[in-house]
Amino acid sequence: MKKLLSTLLALAMAMSLVACGGGDTSTPSDTSTPSGSGGDSSQTQGEDPIKIGFFGPLSSASASADGLSGLQSAELAVRLLNESGGINGRMVELVDYDDALDTTEAANIAERLTTADGVAAVVSGSYSGPTRVAAPICQAAGVVMVSAYAVHPDVVNAGEYIFSQSFPGAVQATAAATFAVEELGAQRIAIVAVDLDFGTEQSAYFKAKAVELGAEIVSEDYIAMSDNDMTSVVSKIASEDVDLIYMPNYYGHAAEVCRQVVLQGLDVDLLGCEGADSWQMLQTAGEYAEGLYITTNMDRDDPNESTQAYIENYRAEYDMEPDMVGASVYDAFEVLFAAMKEVGTDPVAMQEYIANMKDFDTVTGTLMYYTSSGSAVKPVQIQRVGEDLQFHSYSVIDDISIIDGDNIPVVEY
Amino acid sequence: MFLQLVINSLAIGSLYALTAMGATLIYGILGILDIANAGAYLIGAYIGYYIYISTGQLVLAFLGAMLSVGLVGVVLHRTVYGPILAKPRMLSIIPLVAAVGLFTMSSDLIRLLCGAGTKAYNFRFPVDVVRVGSVTIQTTWLLIFALTAVLLVVLWVVLNKTKMGLAWRATAEDPDIARACGVNTNSAMALSYVLGYGFAAAAGIMTGILYNSITPALGEVPSYKMLAIIVLGGLGNPLGTVVAGLLIGFAEVMLSTYTVLPIPKDAVAFVVLIIVLLIKPSGLFGQRNKV
Repeated sequence: MKKLLSTLLALAMAMSLVACGGGDTSTPSDTSTPSGSGGDSSQTQGEDPIKIGFFGPLSSASASADGLSGLQSAELAVRLLNESGGINGRMVELVDYDDALDTTEAANIAERLTTADGVAAVVSGSYSGPTRVAAPICQAAGVVMVSAYAVHPDVVNAGEYIFSQSFPGAVQATAAATFAVEELGAQRIAIVAVDLDFGTEQSAYFKAKAVELGAEIVSEDYIAMSDNDMTSVVSKIASEDVDLIYMPNYYGHAAEVCRQVVLQGLDVDLLGCEGADSWQMLQTAGEYAEGLYITTNMDRDDPNESTQAYIENYRAEYDMEPDMVGASVYDAFEVLFAAMKEVGTDPVAMQEYIANMKDFDTVTGTLMYYTSSGSAVKPVQIQRVGEDLQFHSYSVIDDISIIDGDNIPVVEY
Repeated sequence: MFLQLVINSLAIGSLYALTAMGATLIYGILGILDIANAGAYLIGAYIGYYIYISTGQLVLAFLGAMLSVGLVGVVLHRTVYGPILAKPRMLSIIPLVAAVGLFTMSSDLIRLLCGAGTKAYNFRFPVDVVRVGSVTIQTTWLLIFALTAVLLVVLWVVLNKTKMGLAWRATAEDPDIARACGVNTNSAMALSYVLGYGFAAAAGIMTGILYNSITPALGEVPSYKMLAIIVLGGLGNPLGTVVAGLLIGFAEVMLSTYTVLPIPKDAVAFVVLIIVLLIKPSGLFGQRNKV
């Protein structure tokens, strides 16, 4: 029996190691080596590939779908680049890690990428928590890092080598408040936010702008990420006579609010954010999502060639719908590729090139320029879920006083 | 609004009771806190999902998932918990650690086998809600009430009106004396796992239907909240678990609606637990192992 137990425990441990190995943090997964990604090997002879680091929450049970979306887009970006000849003939090698949504792991990964792996640049495909920890390490090492979608201001505030491909939470929330009050005419607003930096930051900036525009914030509820139940909060809001519910949260919460609002018979507009920009939101909420507005950076209806090409390529490669997380990761790589093609891999030259980029065409719209702190300035897309239960373009907010984060007064929260 | 919130809390509380019942039955007979029950809840939700989307039969999904996950429980008892508990001078923390390991493994296994993304049952009754005056009752809640009631009646009948149940109660009272009296304690323990893991699987499916969403993270909250419920209920007492589940559901709904909670809602269960244990250290129904 002892022997059987020992064997079983050893088997269990081995299975756990395999199970946790979505991106083994002790060994990088070189997922797109030149020969493996369809690149022309004659072009790489005598030259090592350029390494670009990537990390995302692949094995975190609650965030692994975003981690996967990010990694798949990273692999797609690298494969397509290598197939088209790489960076002036040099192939690119992706060195990807799983941060498991763990800040300690993210710090270890950033150290490893900037030292042992010797990457030329890093893309964060993770949330604000891990990205905030990795940013100062990349900054100290003098390695350019582009964050794909983390919204916390501390990410870009780590220094001049850190850029954000997506607009900060302050911009998105200010745009949301402007849209809610000026276009939807909301006067009494309830906020249902996720109880994380992501939700509290956007809630604070939304509140400040909405009140400035004359609306009243009737109630604010902050729901823990682990809490799926929105029944009671919607029951409470039902008695508050509001005309709009603002939801700076993720797709799970947003879908449940949509469902409860319909089931409990509330006649209100619903406005979410990029956290709800996912096929998972549409699948979970189904027809209850019809009429939902969101602020995001991706316009699926954009006739722009690169946007449509990305959507088609992603669908063809992975047989699933792309989302803003994947699109933002893809764009972060495109920014780095553009810099490397123009100025090579010298970090100082890359930093200077990216900081001065103007009107760069990306999957998520035109990147107009980077703010002084390194956040992308691009129009905020308002998408609406139509009768076909898909996101469609509804409006665009491109007022520079709103979309340039430097123009937005700091709100304490 | 108060009446609406009472109905809301009954639905949440019933689901909590159903979720914690499996761990209660296993504690009742083996005296171990089986966190892996949350893994059974997760795996049950996924098995039920695949059966439902393949056949379109919800009853089949419940039966198939409860039976298969119940059998997994028996296998785990025979291969992991049984050998551990049979060791002389076994530290009580060892099965707990094994259970935590099994739960972690189940989450990763589901993620690897079924993918990281959300899956939706998309089960709908012809009518979504029933309105009685100003109160809205969702039809999925009625399913939860009915299922909880049916399963509790089945449990009561099995434990009180069958020979297997008698063996279970005798083993829960004192396994050595039960064995000396000729009771097949192994069967009683297997019954605990079939019922315990089966209940967990049913609760997982109900949660998946209620929120129309299952992910590999589904078992995370139950893995700790069920502990608060079974301890509050008096450790191993099925009736206590029902009352504790309803009480915690009620406390969460009312406190999060009428107050600004300085703590996450999930922590309310533990606050209630601490308050009750200060007043009644053995839990609400502290006379252990009585059904």
